[in-house]
Amino acid sequence: MTATMAGSHSARQRRLNWVWRAVALVFVAIILFPVYWMVNSSFEPQGQILSLTPSFFPVHFTFHNFVDATGRPFFLVDLRNSLIVVVSTVCVVLVVAFLAATAVTRFRLRGAKLFLVLVLVVQMVPTTALVIPLFLILDKARLLNSFQGLILTYVTLTLPFTIWALRGFVRAVPMDLEEAALVDGCSRLGAFRRILLPLVLPGLITTGVFSFITAWNDFLYANVIMQQQDRWTLSVWMFGFQTNTGTDYGGLMAASTIFALPVVIFFLLVQRRIVSGLTAGAVKG
Amino acid sequence: MPATAIGRTERLIPPAPSYRRRARRALRRQLLPFLLLLPALVLVGGVLGYPIGQLVATSFQQLGLFELIGHRVVWNGLTNYRTVFASSQFLDSLEQTALFVLATVGLTMLIGTGVALLMGRLGKILRTVVSVAMLLAWAMPSSAASIVWSWMFETEYGVVNYIAVSLGLHGFNNHDWFASALSAYSVVTAMIVWQAIPFVALSLYAALTLVPQELFEAAAIDGASPATIFRRVTFPLVRPIFVLLTVLSVIWDGNVFNQVWYLTAGRAQVINVIPLGVWQYIEAFSSQQYGLGAAVAVVTVVVLLLVTGYYIRIMVRMGETRA
Repeated sequence: MTATMAGSHSARQRRLNWVWRAVALVFVAIILFPVYWMVNSSFEPQGQILSLTPSFFPVHFTFHNFVDATGRPFFLVDLRNSLIVVVSTVCVVLVVAFLAATAVTRFRLRGAKLFLVLVLVVQMVPTTALVIPLFLILDKARLLNSFQGLILTYVTLTLPFTIWALRGFVRAVPMDLEEAALVDGCSRLGAFRRILLPLVLPGLITTGVFSFITAWNDFLYANVIMQQQDRWTLSVWMFGFQTNTGTDYGGLMAASTIFALPVVIFFLLVQRRIVSGLTAGAVKG
Repeated sequence: MPATAIGRTERLIPPAPSYRRRARRALRRQLLPFLLLLPALVLVGGVLGYPIGQLVATSFQQLGLFELIGHRVVWNGLTNYRTVFASSQFLDSLEQTALFVLATVGLTMLIGTGVALLMGRLGKILRTVVSVAMLLAWAMPSSAASIVWSWMFETEYGVVNYIAVSLGLHGFNNHDWFASALSAYSVVTAMIVWQAIPFVALSLYAALTLVPQELFEAAAIDGASPATIFRRVTFPLVRPIFVLLTVLSVIWDGNVFNQVWYLTAGRAQVINVIPLGVWQYIEAFSSQQYGLGAAVAVVTVVVLLLVTGYYIRIMVRMGETRA
């Protein structure tokens, strides 16, 4: 009796597992479709793209769109600008946010709660409303058209989220570990560097990805702050591309693919770390 | 006997430091964390403090192109706020924002939780496939995503209409997805949810893996249904991260501008159904009424604060009990 019950139970379980697998595959198809469509269109010649029966594989495979997109003026310069600005932003924001997260979790600091709330309130201000005043203050500081000005802007804009996220990661590291290191004769700085830093590393990588994407994506601020074409970032380049080409979807998709590529590479490099990083962050309970 | 014990302990405690020395020690204790916090404080205060102050000040001024060019400061008290609250657009936009946030955040959290739970029931290979697919979607920059989505939903050559017609839905032949507000916002919602699911699902899945497996087994042996297990065991354990993700989503989607702007390309303006973020932009930049735009922005912050305030308090408190 119990045996048959168990048998039917596991048969049901097996059937259910097949249902889950099917659901997962449908989900993967849906979530990947826009990415796939972008890459697919970027390899199609212009005439093929604007056809009433879109093909799901680039039958008339061509690199033309990519050659055309990368051949546009200032592509390499703008790519370099983007990399400089984004990599600097990520480095600076991680250091600053890590220090702040340590300050609010490891010490009884008066006003820490107020700081955390204020930082979230800052996130609520519509970014479009901040563009003009920010432009004016950067103008006064003579930081327009400079990498420093844009880096400063991105660091500040991504700080709120990074601080909140890192706060969770730092809190997840048991304080006993650091105290043990202190007892063993480690200096405060040594405990910080040898214990806290390695354990929070996955968290740093995960939050680094967030600031990377935010800074890489931004068009609004880069467009206002960087007015000379040789100072543009790749996102500004891409929108210039969009307005210049009208309905050249092949070129646009190629440009979008190129634009997305560095983020994907960065992602794949740190992919394993991200999942483990998110796990560590989740301990914050 | 008790008296001597007390006497002994009293002798062990060093004489109480003077008030001044205690104050100095307290100051030193506060100094290190304060120094650690200082760079963040300087950056947020220095770079955003002035613009935000300026924004609030502007909301009490009459500032159009005329005043801007002439560098004139014309204070007009609460006039902008009166205009905002008297405008029929205010309630419309508020309603639009509320519906939009409800739809995007609701769907994101619902599907995200579903995918996280699903990942726990999959084998290793399929789970990796799901994770990598989500990472690829997440890695696609939102500006690129806007272009791809508008291309997919294009009227004549868009692949979505093509697939719909291929499936026998001939009504979708040359269907204009952006003709009605509801349809246009459905596309925007789908795109935002698509972009947000990876972050939410991966975070929640990570949290779920930390829940001890025995808890589920014990509940299952006790005869609890899967729904009960989720409600009573799983959800309470991942609630903190769920709250953080929800609050952040509400803040981000409540200020939605980019996706609506790029995807509807100004068409939403024609149909006059716009969320607060877009209304603020139109007042400030298209109508060049910077004062009015600033007032809309300030009202938006207050609305978001009212909606999320309770949960922010919970989040801050959570830090206290754990630290």
